[in-house]
Amino acid sequence: MTNHWIDLKNAKVILIEGSNAAENHSMSMKWIMRAKENGAKVIHVDPRYTRTSKIADIYAQIRPGTDIAFLGAIINYILENKLYNEEFVRTHTNALYYTNEDFSFDNGVFSGYDEEEKKYATDSWSYQLNEEGTPIIGTSLDDPQCGFTKLKKFYSRYTFQVASDITGIPVETIKLIADTYVNAGPGTIMYALGMTQHTVGVQNIRSFGVLQLLLGNVGKPGTGINALRGEPNVQGSTDFALLFNYAPGYFNWPNSNQPTLEDWTKKNGTFRRRFFVNLLKAWFGENATPDNDFGYGWLPKKDANKNYSIYRIFETALDNTMKFMYIVGQNPMVTSPNLNLVHEGFCKLDMLVVNDLFMTETASFWEKPGVDPSEIKTEVIFLPAASFLEKEGTLTNSGRLVQWRYTGIKPVGKAKSDLEIFDLIYTKMRDLYKNSTDPKDEIFKRMTWEYPKENTSMADAVLKEINGYDLKTGKLATGISALKDDGSTSSGNWLYAGVYTEEGNHSMRTGNSDPSGLGVFPEFKWCWPGNIKIIYNRASADINGKPFDEKNKYIWWDAAEGRWTGYDIPDVGNINDGPDQPGGRKPFRMTGEGVGRLIANTYHDPDVTYEPLPRDVSSVPADGPLPEFYEPVESPTTNILHPNVAINPCLKYPRIEAKQPIGKKEDFPYVLCTSSIAEHWCAGSVTRNVPWLNELVKETYIEMPVKLADKLSVKNGDRVAVSSARGEIEVKVMVTHRIQPLQINGEEVTVVWMPYNWGYKGLSTAASTNLLTIDAGDPNTWIQETKACLVNIKKA
Amino acid sequence: MKINRREFVKLSGVLGVGLAITELGFDVKKIKASTKEFKLEDSKEFTSVCTFCSVGCGMICHVKDEKLINLEGDPDHVINEGSLCSKGASMSVVPNSDQRVKTPLYRAPGSDKWQEISWDEAIDKVTKKMKEVRDENWITKDSEDGKDYPANRTEAISIVGGAQNNNEECYLLAKMARALGVTYIEHQARL
Ligand code: SF4
Repeated sequence: MTNHWIDLKNAKVILIEGSNAAENHSMSMKWIMRAKENGAKVIHVDPRYTRTSKIADIYAQIRPGTDIAFLGAIINYILENKLYNEEFVRTHTNALYYTNEDFSFDNGVFSGYDEEEKKYATDSWSYQLNEEGTPIIGTSLDDPQCGFTKLKKFYSRYTFQVASDITGIPVETIKLIADTYVNAGPGTIMYALGMTQHTVGVQNIRSFGVLQLLLGNVGKPGTGINALRGEPNVQGSTDFALLFNYAPGYFNWPNSNQPTLEDWTKKNGTFRRRFFVNLLKAWFGENATPDNDFGYGWLPKKDANKNYSIYRIFETALDNTMKFMYIVGQNPMVTSPNLNLVHEGFCKLDMLVVNDLFMTETASFWEKPGVDPSEIKTEVIFLPAASFLEKEGTLTNSGRLVQWRYTGIKPVGKAKSDLEIFDLIYTKMRDLYKNSTDPKDEIFKRMTWEYPKENTSMADAVLKEINGYDLKTGKLATGISALKDDGSTSSGNWLYAGVYTEEGNHSMRTGNSDPSGLGVFPEFKWCWPGNIKIIYNRASADINGKPFDEKNKYIWWDAAEGRWTGYDIPDVGNINDGPDQPGGRKPFRMTGEGVGRLIANTYHDPDVTYEPLPRDVSSVPADGPLPEFYEPVESPTTNILHPNVAINPCLKYPRIEAKQPIGKKEDFPYVLCTSSIAEHWCAGSVTRNVPWLNELVKETYIEMPVKLADKLSVKNGDRVAVSSARGEIEVKVMVTHRIQPLQINGEEVTVVWMPYNWGYKGLSTAASTNLLTIDAGDPNTWIQETKACLVNIKKA
Repeated sequence: MKINRREFVKLSGVLGVGLAITELGFDVKKIKASTKEFKLEDSKEFTSVCTFCSVGCGMICHVKDEKLINLEGDPDHVINEGSLCSKGASMSVVPNSDQRVKTPLYRAPGSDKWQEISWDEAIDKVTKKMKEVRDENWITKDSEDGKDYPANRTEAISIVGGAQNNNEECYLLAKMARALGVTYIEHQARL
């Protein structure tokens, strides 16, 4: 979230797209209803009418996977009718920047496309630079060279009619939504996995970015782009980089073709190098020195050409490369797509180790109904873990709020906290290697790892390490600005610097005063970065540091005091740098040019102190500098914009031909969308063991429109066989008015929906929906397209 | 259980759905008021944060004789102001459930059952195998354009999970994974 949960109350219009917030983030409704009480309008765009639609002023049923076309039409309407915030667009975005003369978009692909590699060369996605190497900026939004002109041309194809044909939303509804969203402000956007679980997930969100930048809906109360993250601490686990491509704090994990820290810095910039040095100091302590590259050489390096995402884990198990899996509180035998492939992968492992609370389908994959355990040679070890109520530590919510959890009870039986389990495993491994002289094992001798053995004090010590220290004084680091790049400070995650200072552990704070009345609550817990509740809040003020909107002011430059001030911590480079100075000028200080990018750009600003190294190296999406509509991999129709480039041109799928078949609409005529429900959560590993919740919803089912039920001659409670190119399951039918057949490109398309929370373990068991879903993934994030695949349905 | 199961089901099944939408969630205080037999006077309190979605609702937990006897929304929490949804409100079941696995378990190759083992045995087995796989599947270098680069990794071990863990756990898991030379490190963020 750029903003936070309570801030939803400050919006005057709320667009909820690809989320059933009422069921899956129920407490967000508290703040949405407050906004409604103050006159806000709520718009809900989703494939199924849900409990969220019920509180919306406008609901639009959209075909799964077509959000870019819908948002494209709204953006085009804004551009054609000059409904954008002109001052914001001119000063706070790259609208006036001259794009490279070679930049183009034709027949479904951008300039630089390599069809064989399914990859873009991004050279032409840059600015025209002047002699000093900085971008050339025009003065008129109609200048044919400037990005804004390119943007208008690009979007001109997205008329209401085109969007309606693709999405199934009537033209008048799209117009009503556009008018409602544009005319009321501030406007905020809420989205969830309904936007990201697509082969165009990143570009879906980029569409939100373009829309909000055009309207100036950034950095102010009631604005922003707000991801409603699915898991309690998926924000934290992402921040701490349980992802192959990052290090804690979102800098790229090194590739082997970057053998030194300097090689890495050339590709990643000096800005991030500072944080990398602090991480290395946290991990290697005194062993990390400027002379040994702070221990950079001890780290494992990725092969730059390989994808190490979760799909590849199961796929490499199939060819006997992957041998050992350690799974902590995740249940891929329910939640991963294309489950038959996943199961085959588990069967090939030498050993599987699982930490969890309850027995899961993953740990007992060898007990899957219909398989013969004697043929499965994998050794499995289950380590019983303490639940969240039986241990201490912090977690981070979607609004980046870091909160300490206390405990007052002991773990059940012999269960241990995951923290203690990791400590047992690591220290034992270190022990096993203590006499080794092999260079590969040196890291165990160099890494810092001495923690108190009891859970609460261990969590306390680790949070301090994460926050970091001034190594000269031994005192806790006060914040991000205190972190140095010379090895004199440490921080396990720069974003969290400031969470735990000599004043105490800020994740425990309970101050409940809200001086501005805007829901900021500056002393309630602590949020990253630096307790800034609304990030990019510098963009709420104009180039002179004056609030754009006096009635909705948030941060401004106080010339008399010579500092930025307001209701939140100002998101500026230097609090005392005025709006005409480098540390106070940039509305978006994370990009090289300091403005928001309507068209993504490869520009890197040089670091004057480290020339010729770049300062910041923010990236561009792999599949284009602007969001273009592509059909889902399994689509019920043609791509009317460019029939020859129907799906994302950067997609490499199938990865394994025999295991990843693509269904055709002739065999699988219906579109399946899947998601979670209010009563069960994710794999159901916990909720399906709670009798209360099982009594509310006890098994999986398929929701289908009345018309389809009539055609199949089924009624509520009847059983049907649902099949895709990958699998078949039997479930009960729920006949519904909540999904209507859609008119797509002149033909009727039927969408059905299923929850995915079941498996064969726990107190409530039923078939897993993910036996049907597809594991094609977005080329940027490798998130699978579980929101749109094709199925057939027959009466069982 | 202090919240009678019948009442819970009645409230969340009949009213809860409506409440979740119109009155912003499941108001545990109402149930509390309707159940006279609440006796929390000599219990101890601690606060926690819900473990389902990422709203991060605050909870108050009551403990008596080392047992969790009550859990409800924290009225002093600025986000949920005392409310919890059906999932969060049912979490007192977790530490008291007989479905919890209470001891390390081992399943031998080809076996059709679990067998209870001690923590020592479990950690021994895990680390012995981990070391064997790491040692036998170590990649020292990658070659690109005729040049060799140190790779320093294993592609035979993978570590998955974390969105249910606390930050400190995520941090140590990432640190341990990188010490082992693991590049296959992943979790729910992609799901
Ligand atoms: S109580 Fe419900 S809304 Fe609150 S964090 Fe838990 S799951 Fe989310």
